[in-house]
Amino acid sequence: MPAEDYAPINQDWLEKAGNLWTTPWADTPSERVTVDPIILSHAASMFRKSPGYFYKNPEEAVRMVCHTCELYDVTPVGHYLYADYWGEDYGGELKFQESAPPGMQKRPITTPEDVDNFEVLSPEELAKGPSFTRHFRALDTCKEEYPQMFAPITQLAGTMELATNWAAIEDVFMWMITDPDLVDKLCSKAVDHMVNASKVTADRYGANVMITGSVVASGDLMDREQIKRFSYNPVSKAVRKVLNEGAGPGIYYHLCGNHSDDFDLWKDAPMSPFTIVQIGYDGKEIFPTSKLVENFGDRCTCFGTVDTKLVDRGTPAQVYEQAKQQVLAGKDSPRGFILGTACECPTNAPPANVHAIVKAAKDHGKYEKF
Amino acid sequence: MDINMTEEVQNLLKDEGFKKEEIQEIIEKAESNGKKLKHKSEDTFIAKDDSENLTTYAVYTISGEGINLNNVYSHKMHIDGLTGGELHEVENDDQSEWICQKCNETALERNVDMSYMGVTRAGPAIVCPKCQEFYVSDGVAKTLKTAESILEEKRA
Repeated sequence: MPAEDYAPINQDWLEKAGNLWTTPWADTPSERVTVDPIILSHAASMFRKSPGYFYKNPEEAVRMVCHTCELYDVTPVGHYLYADYWGEDYGGELKFQESAPPGMQKRPITTPEDVDNFEVLSPEELAKGPSFTRHFRALDTCKEEYPQMFAPITQLAGTMELATNWAAIEDVFMWMITDPDLVDKLCSKAVDHMVNASKVTADRYGANVMITGSVVASGDLMDREQIKRFSYNPVSKAVRKVLNEGAGPGIYYHLCGNHSDDFDLWKDAPMSPFTIVQIGYDGKEIFPTSKLVENFGDRCTCFGTVDTKLVDRGTPAQVYEQAKQQVLAGKDSPRGFILGTACECPTNAPPANVHAIVKAAKDHGKYEKF
Repeated sequence: MDINMTEEVQNLLKDEGFKKEEIQEIIEKAESNGKKLKHKSEDTFIAKDDSENLTTYAVYTISGEGINLNNVYSHKMHIDGLTGGELHEVENDDQSEWICQKCNETALERNVDMSYMGVTRAGPAIVCPKCQEFYVSDGVAKTLKTAESILEEKRA
């Protein structure tokens, strides 16, 4: 659907939503907490399109996201990304699926020798590669058609996510046991890749917001020492290098999944003046915002979460209640607070459930600190 | 003390509004009191000057012909102190490429609280674990410049 087929975005709404979004970063007073339910392919469902259509058509995807942001009255940012970035740039095969985000079908690394021979692409090579080509089709559209909703985001992911996009997850996990130095080597290459990818975005748009963190490296799959060695340490190194290359300033630590045993490590991860920390789960329960604020509130902007399973399968009342508890615990966090979901908004989540999060923020997320 | 610089650095001084004499003073002060960073493997130094609204850095080498000025940069964000208060052990590799010349200690890369236009947030700095003097790399200064512009726009 071309741009002219969408109804115009209401400029009063956009200004107000932009103000809510600015508060966590710049401490500018506004009415209430902003909500970012991480809308990606969920936007497609609002337009009766499939996830496959969404990801194959980045220009349309970002339009759908921007208009869905207005529909729900949430953070006005035109996102476009998926988990399996960067595999095809190195010779892997990405499969576009009708009902799910694109997934790696064939990975470029299959043997330990491949790890040794694996060469990280330069910023110039990455800029021409399939991941950035697709990504920039979305971002350029956003910048041109919805400039106030544009953010120069780079989907870096973490070192273990890159490692498992480059080599099969079962191989990487086996090597963690049989040959951990090999995984160190892979993660070290992931660090160099993250730095180069950040440079590409910073060069193109003059600034970069890096999405990184620890998704595969969570407590359900790895223990604290493994997370520290293969995720926290190399990710910290990468972020530090990116900042030292002047390719910031935005950092979004997305700690997806269960981080009961390692969340405290991330308190000392490198931060910039525009840093968000989001933690999904504490064991099987949603990560309590009170615990997030207690540990990170005096360091960075806290992103409190609502369980994505609940958003997908719960009732609006259940979603509202959890969102209420989380926003009450976080709204006056000293360095800003955002209410959102533990991960991407599920594609087919009932709109009433997404609305319930926003409603909770409107009813209970009024700032007291201003 | 003579300061030599390439045409590129001369233009940088001009573009950024620095006077050669100011930079010379920063370097001379660092040379006399030893408060400077020295690169681990190169004879490169970083000296700085904290004024109320601006922290200025000079990157230089010393040769028989005098001081060779390699880079000058600054930031407006004021460093208040270490994020979280005190210097404690961290579980990531935080060793920088720099040594505090005064204390002969490897400087660490740590988060510090930075304030600008009434907003305080964390940012990355190079910190001597002994005297706790703070420095910022040229790349981080570039990152901070972007952050400052955003805050200027949003807080205006």
